[in-house]
Order: sequence, then C-alpha cells, then structure tokens
Amino acid sequence: MLKFVGKRLLAGIALVAALSVLTFFLLQTGSSDTARRIAGQSATEEAVAQVEARLGLDQPVMQQFLNWAGGALRGDFGVSWFNGQPVTDAVLSRISVTVSLAVGSVVLTALIGIVLGALAATRRGWLDRTVQFLGVLGQAIPGFLMALFLVIVFAIKLDWFPATGYTKPGDSVNEWLLSITLPVVALTIGSIGGVAQQVRGSMIDVLNRDFVRTLRSRGLPVRRIVFRHVLRNAAGPALSVLGLQFVILLGGAVIVEQLFSIPGLGPLALTSTSLGDIPIVMGIVIMTAIVVTIVNTLVDIAQAWLNPKVRLS
Amino acid sequence: MSRILKALAVGSAAALALTACSGSGDATGDATDTSSSSSTGGRADQLTIGAVVDIATWKAADAEWGNTATYHMAVYDTLLRTAADGTVEPGLAEEWSYNDDMTELTLELRDGVTFSDGTDLTAEVAAENVLRFRDGASSNTSNLSAVTDATAVDEDTLVLTLSQPDPALTTYLSQNSGLVAAASTFDAADAQTNPVGSGPYVLDADASTIGSSYTFTARDDYWDPEIQHYDTIVINYYADASALVNALRDNQVDIANTNSTTQIPDAEAAGYTINSLPINWKGLILADRAGSVNEALGDVKVRQAINYAIDREGLLQALESGYGEPTTQIFGTGTEAYLEELEDAYPYDPEKAKALLAEAGYPDGITVVMPQTAFVPASESELIAGVLAESGITVEYEQAGESFISDLLGGKWGMFAFGLNQEPMAWMTYQLALAPGSAWNVFHQPDETIESLAATMRLGGDDADAAAKEMNQYVVEQAMFAPFYRVLGVIVTNDATTVTMKDGQAVSNLWDIVPA
Repeated sequence: MLKFVGKRLLAGIALVAALSVLTFFLLQTGSSDTARRIAGQSATEEAVAQVEARLGLDQPVMQQFLNWAGGALRGDFGVSWFNGQPVTDAVLSRISVTVSLAVGSVVLTALIGIVLGALAATRRGWLDRTVQFLGVLGQAIPGFLMALFLVIVFAIKLDWFPATGYTKPGDSVNEWLLSITLPVVALTIGSIGGVAQQVRGSMIDVLNRDFVRTLRSRGLPVRRIVFRHVLRNAAGPALSVLGLQFVILLGGAVIVEQLFSIPGLGPLALTSTSLGDIPIVMGIVIMTAIVVTIVNTLVDIAQAWLNPKVRLS
Repeated sequence: MSRILKALAVGSAAALALTACSGSGDATGDATDTSSSSSTGGRADQLTIGAVVDIATWKAADAEWGNTATYHMAVYDTLLRTAADGTVEPGLAEEWSYNDDMTELTLELRDGVTFSDGTDLTAEVAAENVLRFRDGASSNTSNLSAVTDATAVDEDTLVLTLSQPDPALTTYLSQNSGLVAAASTFDAADAQTNPVGSGPYVLDADASTIGSSYTFTARDDYWDPEIQHYDTIVINYYADASALVNALRDNQVDIANTNSTTQIPDAEAAGYTINSLPINWKGLILADRAGSVNEALGDVKVRQAINYAIDREGLLQALESGYGEPTTQIFGTGTEAYLEELEDAYPYDPEKAKALLAEAGYPDGITVVMPQTAFVPASESELIAGVLAESGITVEYEQAGESFISDLLGGKWGMFAFGLNQEPMAWMTYQLALAPGSAWNVFHQPDETIESLAATMRLGGDDADAAAKEMNQYVVEQAMFAPFYRVLGVIVTNDATTVTMKDGQAVSNLWDIVPA
C-alpha cells in the first residue's frame, strides 16, 4: 500500500511541476501592461520602468520563471504585485473557504446521489425514470441561474438564509452553516444527477451478477445484500465520479462565490487574472493543484481499499 | 424565527458540519443582517457599507480616491477637509494661509494628534507624506505637481512651496493628496495592507479579508470624536453587481453605492432611500483636435457636427433609463464656470451635422476609429455608432487589448467614448481635461486661449470666475468634447441611516453618514 501511495504522490508532484510551468508561460501572453497598471495611469515611462525592474519584469521570461520557481521551492511564493499581500496568506485564507464549499457539496452529492441511485437501481419503474429525468434536469440548469433562484426564494422571499456574505465557523457555527447552505446547494444540484446515474448503473450491473443471485437463493434479506455486497462492489465507479465532481465543483465555486460574495478563491482568481497579478494566480493554481492531487490520492486509496486489484495495477 | 434557530433546522447541517475546514481565523464578510441600533453614548453600534470598488492599496503615498475614499477616511486624516458643499475646512491643520503671491502655503497642525501606533503627528511627518504622495504611484500625483517642496518650519508648522499658484491645492489636500500616514509605514514591507493613520477608526485585520470585507473599530483616543458616529464600520466589497442587488434586497447593508442607475428600482423596492447627485459626465472625448490621427477631427466644424449628431435625450433614456441630465458642457453645475445656456448648445440636428461636414469638405461623411473596451458594453457602443451614423459619421470599432489605458492615453485613438469626473471646481476640470500636461488632454495639445484664461483663474477672485465661464464657453464652441449627459452618482440608504452627498465625489464623507 505504501508503494502505491508513494507512486500516486510522485505523480502528483510531477503534475504540479508541469502545471506551474504551463501556467507561468501562459500568463506571460496576457499581461503586457502590468507595470503600467501598477505604476498608475499617469506614471512616466521612467516610473513604469522602475516598477518593471522592481518586479523583475525586465528580465527574460525564463529567468523570471526560475526566480519564481526558486522561491516557490523554498516555500516563498512572493507577494501580490498589486496590494503587497503575501501570496501564501492570500491563498490560504481563501482556499479553506472554497474547499469547505466543495467538500460540503461533495458530501451532499454523495449522500443524495447514492440514495437516489440505489433506489432507482433496486426499485426501478417510475422511480427510476423520475430519478433519471431529475438528474438530467439538474445538470441542464446553469449553476448561476440556480444560485439566483435559491437567493430569491430562500433568502429574499422566505428570509431563511443570508443572500450574500460569509461567516467563519470560528465566529459562529450556526451563522457559518447559514452562510454556506445556499452556495453549497447551488453547487450540489448540478452534480447529483451524475453520481446518481453512476451508482444506478453500477448497482444494476452488480445486481445482475452470479454471486448476488447466489446470495438471494440462500435467502439473505435484500437489504443486507444491497448494503453489504452490492453497494460495496458498486462504490468504486461512484467514488471515481465523486473525485471528479470535487475538481469540477472547485471550478464551479468561482462563479457561485462571486454571486454570493463569498471570500473564497473564486473572486481572488478572477481579480488577479484580470489584473495580471502573476504571483497570486500562480499561488492559486499551485495550491489548487495540491488539493486536487491530495483528493485524487485519497480516492485512489479508497478504491484500493475497496478493491485490492487496483493496488496491483 | 431567527436565523440561528432556522440554522438548527437545516436538514443538511450534520453533513455540512463535517466540512468545517475553514476555522483558521481567516476570512469574513458579515453574512448577517445589518445592525445600526444605537449603543450607549450617542453612537450606533455598526454601520455596514456596500462598496462597488475594492481598495487596491492602503499605502497613503499611492492612494487613489473616488470610490475608495471611504476606506481612507476611516483610517486616515487629511491635512484639510472639505464639507459636502465643497467648502474647505480644518483637518489636521487648524489654520492655513497663503503668502501674497500664493506660492507658499503655511499650515498650522493641531496638537495632541496621535497615530494608531502611538506616535505623534509632527510637521516633519506631514511634510514627508506630501512629498511621498507627489512622487508616488497614485493616478492623482499631478494634483501636487506645483509643489516643489514641503518643509517643517517647527513641530507644528508645515510650509508647502509652489512653483506657481494652484487654486485647487487646499481641496486636493482634503483628498488623497493630503492623507497623512505614520512614519513607521514609509518603508514598511506591509504598508499596502496595514494602514497606520491618525483617523477615527483602525482596521481590524483579523476580522477583515483583503478583497472582500473590511472591519474598522472606533479609536478611543481620537481627537475629533464628533465625527465617530459608529463603534464599528464594516465595508463589504461586492465584485458582482447581482451580489450587491441581492444584498440590498436582503437588507444586508445600511448604505451602498450602486454600480449603475439600473439598480435604482431594486433598491427602491427593497425600501431604500435613493440619494443622487451628478458626479460624472459621459460622452465622447474628441481628443485629436490637431487632426494628427484623424485629419477630419482637426476641423472644428467636424467636431461641432459630431455634437449636433448626438441625440442626448435618446441616449439618456436608452442607456440610463432616464436617470441623468443631458448636457453639452464638461464643467459641473456647482462650479464657477457653469453656464445654463450651455446645457443644450448643440441640439440634436442630423441635417445641421451633415451640412457642417459638407462645409468642412466631407460631403460624404467621415469615418472614425474608436476603441471597443470592457468599460463600454458592446450594445452601448453599437447604439452610439447608430446615432452618429444617421448624420454620416461612421464609427469603426477596434478591439482594445490589455494595454487599453496606455494606448488610449498614448493617443492611439482620435476620439473615444468615456466618462470623466465632474469636479467641484472649474480649476480642477481644467487640470483634469484641458491643461497641456493633463492625462485627458490626450494629445497634450496647448491652446493659447485656454492657457491665457487659466493664468487668470490661477490667481482666484472675481476675475477668475469670469475667466472660468469664458473657458467653458470656448471649450464648448471649439467642441473639444461631445458630452451626452451627466451621470447620477447614487447612494442608497436604509431607514436607520442618512447621508449628505458630496459635490464632485462618488462617495460621501464618512462623517456625513449618520444614524437616522
């Protein structure tokens, strides 16, 4: 198992390294006026040149990358070019917010998706058709529309939740729950369908296998067969989908955070990218890649635990 | 049922609690309703402000103003203050006076003022602030371009030496040019994120998230407690217009600037009071008055034709739902240059526009290239082009890139749609858009008539007022700009809050926001 985890971690490190190279050089193509923006609209060419020299923008791109990579390897991701905030502070203070939304959404997706998928696979008939229809409908509705709908109904009309903003759990767990409920639900609705479909398909597949027929013929209760044997065998593909959903939800959180005015990575990513604040963008990409790598590794470990054949591969 | 009780009823609470992975004392935007109830001692507990612009830097030497003035007014004092009507009043300086030829401004600073780091205000610190701002990265550094030196004569006396008189200097010193930060911030690595001022509030960094929400607490030892109307001030920045509208609908803020007049109906429906004042003019800047990029624009008849081609009422209805004031002058209504007869100097008349183009030698019309930017929606650009096309003026849009501002100010386009501040003083409008060195005299074109009038305005008095009016008349006759209308700055307030709008500024003075 240790060798398996080690391999996955090495692959993750290679992924982060490749991503950092790709992102850095891609960012160079769209940030031609950064020094001017920092120096101010009315700054002289001399002042702009001073900013370029201070930030190292007057050096060749490869040298700029090596400077950044050298710092990053020492854990120094630099400071924002625009507001001077250390990148580590800016990203770490926000990534926890975004990850909490994504994790909350994955947990909710897993709970609802597995229940609906299992019901559809075991009951079939109208329930199966309804679950499939609602799954497609959920995926078809754009996340921002769902977010606006939830705000209008549950925040403005019913006044159950705040329309915008975020309370940290350290201040009040209840207020924190209220502040993230609508964003989490907005993120979740679109992803339930995919998980439910996956669980349904896998369970139908397992239910038709010989060992399940044997268990049935020995008179074991259906509930025990489903929970002890079918779900465990069908869990592998569902876990893969949930891992993938987590990554998708991290991306989806960008828009939802903007709409709910939540101080996660989304607004920071949008602002930094539009300004050309390369240190912050690089920090976001690297930290997000690390989180995604960790989640994928955990999913792989869970898969290996569920199915020893995975470890051998 | 309170939201706390409702929280306990949230079905997904248990599942979501598993995800409480953000407890590291980090971000917070206040998600609760506002609370402006009065506390003991005459102050209200909290003021929650909705902002549409985030603060880019707290460093006083690089500070911007406009929409970010509220942030600065919370933590910093300025050398002077301006009242809502534009009158200059004492700030950190109790008294000020010019010498005879108005090239030396002496400011007497008040005693007993301390910064939030415990250090004292001195004339030396104030002088250093002035010089650092003049040489800093703010877009308003030119406000202090006449200041050749700032020196501390003694502990409390600051003298600014000027290369030539500047009638707007005292007003500038009540804005970002007059912000005073503690000496400890001058070379501090965290100066951009950690403000140390002598202002009425201090930033609570632990309760704030850069780029999202800022919490300020009132200082107990502030020298002017009369302007501290709240114990705590929270400024929530709404990057998304929909988020601001939703925050208003849910009564999450006491006061907010709106992104545009289209949000007025939503704010009214949510029970907010609408406070408005013209703050900008929007229209075309006919920058290439020498005809170096587009020869036709060098002819005054062509520029006048463009002015006659504009259906100002129609554009106001279409673009601002009627909120605003059609005008053909760039000087504000409160300035000494304002002339009522110039409000409609170029009535919409496509036939007259075509005739003027023909007189100028363009019987088949002209073609101009304008930039298409994210600042102006494509639909708006098309509308403007459509209006001009009716008079034979064809607009070809060129997609502006990343370096839009540099290109614009570098003279890439002869004319473009933009909006400029309606300054509270005629002199400030001259400095902003007409002086040869000003950023928005894009081609830095000198004009003898304007410079002659500016020389009179520089010295103040009745002659200066007359010269300002004459300058306005001349600018309109020369059709240097083609304003559409004045845009309303809108501040909405709830029942617990009142505000006095400030002439020429997007936001009010912080101390003019008071509990109702």
